[in-house]
Amino acid sequence: MAVVRTLLYLVVYPGLLFLFVYSTFCEWFDRKVYARLQNRMGPTHTGRFGLLQPIADFFKLMAKEDIVPEAADKRLFNILPVVGLAVVATAGLLLPVWNFDLANPGPTSFSGDIIVVLYLLSLPTLILFLAAWASTNPFATIGGARVLTMFFGYEVPLFLAVLGPAILADSWRLAEIAAFYQAKPLLLLTNLLGFIVAVIAVQAKLERTPFDIPHAETEIVGGTFTEYSGKKLALFRLTFDIELVISSGLLAAVFLGGFPGGAVVGFLHFVVKTLFVIFLLSLLRALTSRIRIDQVVSFAWKYLAPLAVLQLLVTILLKGLLS
Amino acid sequence: MKLAVFLPELLRHLFKKPATVDYPFKKLAVPVNFRGTPYLNPERCIVCRACERDCPAEAIEISSVNEAEKRFKMIIHNDRCVHCAQCVDSCPTTPKAMLMDSLFELADDDRHKLKKDWVYVRAVLKPKAAAPATPPPAAEPKA
Amino acid sequence: MSFQIPIGPQHPALKEPISLRMTVEGEVITDVDMRLGYNHRGMEKLAEEKSWLQNIYVTERICGICSHSHATCYVQGVEKLMELAPPRRGLYIRYLVAELERVHSHLLWLGVAGHEAGFDSFFMYTWRDREIVMDLLEMISGNRVHYAINTLGGVRRDIDEGQKAKILEGVATLRKRSEYYFYIGANEPSFVARIAGVGYLSKESAIALCAVGPVARASGVARDVRKDDPCAVYGELDFELATADTCDVLGRVVVRVKELLESYKLIEQMVKGLPAGDIAVKAPRKAKPGEVVSRYEAPRGENIHYIKANGTDKPERLKVRAPTLANYPATVEMLRKGFIADIPLIFAAIDPCICCAERTVTLVAAGSGEESVVRMSDLRRRAIARHQNAPVKRNAVWPL
Repeated sequence: MAVVRTLLYLVVYPGLLFLFVYSTFCEWFDRKVYARLQNRMGPTHTGRFGLLQPIADFFKLMAKEDIVPEAADKRLFNILPVVGLAVVATAGLLLPVWNFDLANPGPTSFSGDIIVVLYLLSLPTLILFLAAWASTNPFATIGGARVLTMFFGYEVPLFLAVLGPAILADSWRLAEIAAFYQAKPLLLLTNLLGFIVAVIAVQAKLERTPFDIPHAETEIVGGTFTEYSGKKLALFRLTFDIELVISSGLLAAVFLGGFPGGAVVGFLHFVVKTLFVIFLLSLLRALTSRIRIDQVVSFAWKYLAPLAVLQLLVTILLKGLLS
Repeated sequence: MKLAVFLPELLRHLFKKPATVDYPFKKLAVPVNFRGTPYLNPERCIVCRACERDCPAEAIEISSVNEAEKRFKMIIHNDRCVHCAQCVDSCPTTPKAMLMDSLFELADDDRHKLKKDWVYVRAVLKPKAAAPATPPPAAEPKA
Repeated sequence: MSFQIPIGPQHPALKEPISLRMTVEGEVITDVDMRLGYNHRGMEKLAEEKSWLQNIYVTERICGICSHSHATCYVQGVEKLMELAPPRRGLYIRYLVAELERVHSHLLWLGVAGHEAGFDSFFMYTWRDREIVMDLLEMISGNRVHYAINTLGGVRRDIDEGQKAKILEGVATLRKRSEYYFYIGANEPSFVARIAGVGYLSKESAIALCAVGPVARASGVARDVRKDDPCAVYGELDFELATADTCDVLGRVVVRVKELLESYKLIEQMVKGLPAGDIAVKAPRKAKPGEVVSRYEAPRGENIHYIKANGTDKPERLKVRAPTLANYPATVEMLRKGFIADIPLIFAAIDPCICCAERTVTLVAAGSGEESVVRMSDLRRRAIARHQNAPVKRNAVWPL
């Protein structure tokens, strides 16, 4: 029985199947909002309101020819998309929406899970770099170099910003942090600065405009994905969709008071809050133009990192004041 | 320089109707005098071959079917046509034998299916409607 | 580490095929090698086979964006050869369409610049509003892209009062929108960061490399055929030459937006002051022997047609010098020392129309940037020589 439950947990809910469905829904939401902001229609015809369009895109890519370049490191090239998907799906298990029970933490909720989620979200970046490097295409190589360069820019501000609320809540467990802010919702306001920094850093992590530099199509064609096609590209795209869900879920858990109210209400909280974060990300995407790689690094260290440190300072002072 | 300068415009359009049209399901009307596909009014054609001569794409082909009966055949190769409407301008008859309709969705899976042909008897020139043999590329009359 | 990346012949930043081979060190471009000839269609040879009248439609199809420019340039030249004087109403309508085309071309370019910089919202909005001018052109001429309004000795279609009112209304909306886009383009920090100081071309090199159109004007060279050598209509109208002295992509944006506003002014003047009368005179079928050079300020710069007649109803020679070709040497100069990320923007900033320019083969030496033009016969000789010396190898690896 326990084996079946674990399997269901991993494969159906909140494992792969749920993440697949929800992430495609989020992609649809993102595309629709982006289109509407630009006075366009967005996906319209596949399914009601085009809801099935991302799924159709996924299956279309799955059916396409899968090409592995001659010069590529074939083993690495083939295995990386699967590893990437596994990593982000694992991160999905740790979100406090499915383990809200504080008193009885399952194996997926433990002290320090916020750090694990953050690191699991960092891994796809490295996997992307490896994938680019393994495909040996000049465009992919440049894309890979850009992935790493950008990584050094946004990663520190993201960690600083996300760990700020954890310091105030005095816990390294996502469920406890959420519970702390549910008890004192006003304290959420003190983290506003950190929230802004985190949204921008997540935008960079997800490589969306203005930070879509590693796969800027007008500059370096597909960038990191140039040589990927068919199933592997589909898996990479799914990885990014799931990463979008997990990152926005993480931000919602840390900055927006988590998902209180049990399985059903908590789930509604999860949907509304992640969609809110995704809306902000879409707005940022529509609002800006792609900047250059050197501008990203200088922006991250000139503005994002100091702001994150300032937030940390505010948090620490506030904590001293409260205790 | 200001931050988020595009924001009001974007948000204003969030709940507005999209500017784009759901094309194959909804269609925009073309204006009057749209240069669509050329067609022939066989009962007016005097077979002066001005259209055949002036067509820049060699899309018009007139051949004689039966000399004695003065029967002719005109083929318009819509796969070659560049829709310039010079044939309409060159047509010397009043009212014109060559005209343009407003069709623009001409795609087909075989270029030979785009051919259109007419077999007809040459119209007799009425003395009143006589036109110069070399038509001026004059302006098209307003419709 | 220095390696070569190929931009084109097929690349998302390029709407038409051209090959730019960039030698890069990290993100910085150290050398540019430009190769043309992927879109050669033999237009000039075709023109020798067609009559004077048919050639209007041939020249019109040299380019899709500035179709009217080529047709007008050609028609101006042929009218000079045939000693025709088109009626003033016809000329007004001809240049009215020309200015509308400039508006549509510059709006299109603004959107493309936004897209190349990854600013897709800007792209969507400018192209949405470009539809206004496209609809106006369709209403006047009966088609959105190839207007085919020109004929030898005038224009083919007249404008009535209702159309005049619609043009004025559309232009009023467009003026408001253009001013708004100018405000966005000059104020959105991430966009300005991408275009300011990028693709520097000094005034001296702009003159030395014979840059034309908005590229030259953005480097402070006040050069415009409409002012320097005005044909009948432009001499009577009041407009200013738009220049900028920042010498970068931002300057080229500014010049184009200013030109948009000047074009609206011109359109309004032409619509309001449209003279009465005929729109065309009758043209002969043959032209006397002679030759003529016709100049016209296309949206991308100076367009030159050289036409030679030999007394028949067909031209003996038609030579087209499209503005994009004149801007290529300057592009090489602009790209050097830039970032990879700037390639699409710098290249787009000359508003390249590659199929316009595909009539010669220009060789740019990768080491020195020296240019040489090779004649077709020469190329052929070289190709044959190469073929004889190098037997075809199986499994040959083509060098990048």
